[in-house]
Amino acid sequence: MGHLNLETLARLVDDIPELKEAEHIASCEACASRLEALRDQTEQLRSLPELVPPQGDWQVLEAKLRSEGLIRDPGLFARLGLAETPSWMRAAAAIVIFLGGTGFGAVLTSHGASQRMAALEGEPIVQESATSTQDAAERLRRAEQTYVNALAHYREVAADQGGDASRADPRSRFAALEYLVAASQAAVRQAPTDPFLNGLLASTLAEREATLRRISTQQQNWF
Amino acid sequence: MSESQLIQQAADGDARAVRALYDRYAPRVYAVVRRIAGDDELAQDYAQEAWIRAIRALPSFRGDARFSTWLHRIAVNAALQALRKAETRRKREASPPEQIPVAPKPGDALLQRRLERALDRLPEGMRRVLILHDVEGYTHDEIGDVLGVAPGTSKSQLFKARAKMREMLTASNGAAQDHGAEAWGI
Repeated sequence: MGHLNLETLARLVDDIPELKEAEHIASCEACASRLEALRDQTEQLRSLPELVPPQGDWQVLEAKLRSEGLIRDPGLFARLGLAETPSWMRAAAAIVIFLGGTGFGAVLTSHGASQRMAALEGEPIVQESATSTQDAAERLRRAEQTYVNALAHYREVAADQGGDASRADPRSRFAALEYLVAASQAAVRQAPTDPFLNGLLASTLAEREATLRRISTQQQNWF
Repeated sequence: MSESQLIQQAADGDARAVRALYDRYAPRVYAVVRRIAGDDELAQDYAQEAWIRAIRALPSFRGDARFSTWLHRIAVNAALQALRKAETRRKREASPPEQIPVAPKPGDALLQRRLERALDRLPEGMRRVLILHDVEGYTHDEIGDVLGVAPGTSKSQLFKARAKMREMLTASNGAAQDHGAEAWGI
């Protein structure tokens, strides 16, 4: 039997040789060596590494995906790690964050804002994704605390300017409280026995009534 | 975050989740596409096409197979389809093997480079089968499904491809030895 050709040897990388082929390989050093080299080659191909895409590949791909509307930036709640929380909780959080933002805005636009803002730094509202419900709740609590701090600063700044800021624009405040009441009522419907939610609703209703009285008083004084 | 959560968010269009999946799987996708394409520039286009198809199809991913397997199959199909289209515009001819230096031991970067370059010079039909079988681990039945050929044809192409690779690598070894130490200067 003559030497086995390369294609036959390539087959024997995977397949069992026929009797004559086996006998030949056993007796022919050249064919045995070539078969061994083919086996090495196949083994080396199996262990070829992954390849890093060219630099800037993601940026190009991202632009294409955006142009096709396949991706978008995550919403605020996803960034807060609250994407899977119940809708009532998200509504309540929205209010806290909105009012917190209002407080920040007031501080920022007020005299001496930079000094006061320095005290608030290190308390970012938007953070990395939460890993659990407890984590999300803790982030929510911190966001609420940030709001409370900002509101305290807001009142402080307003007092510096010679007036109670909460009285400065009672109509806007009343509109915000209306929104808060609606969200609080929705929350209580979802969890009727929750003491925090009931307390929030009661406080909000009381504050709304107080604001309404204030608006009414201003109108009487104007006349 | 678990992979299934990441996939769900990516399916909803969350750019950060898509980026995370890309970071995790881009090297694997690019590797298979690059080897099938046999060309850097084409590979980038094909890989991006594969990603776009995958992200578009994500909402239909049910988790029956592993995500990596699912994505890999999309990448292979995208590259093969793109190549078929390209074939109508041009005929690729295998050029003579370059003089590639001999590697001192198996498994190092130089040997991998020699293999990659030899793969690039295989005729397309052989290269596809060799990559799918010997690099990616597809069976002949799977190759038959993907390429639309009989398993016997896949086997025959594989043996030819292995033999051709061996010839090219042997020729490059001989050339490198003829050139002595200078041949190492890549």
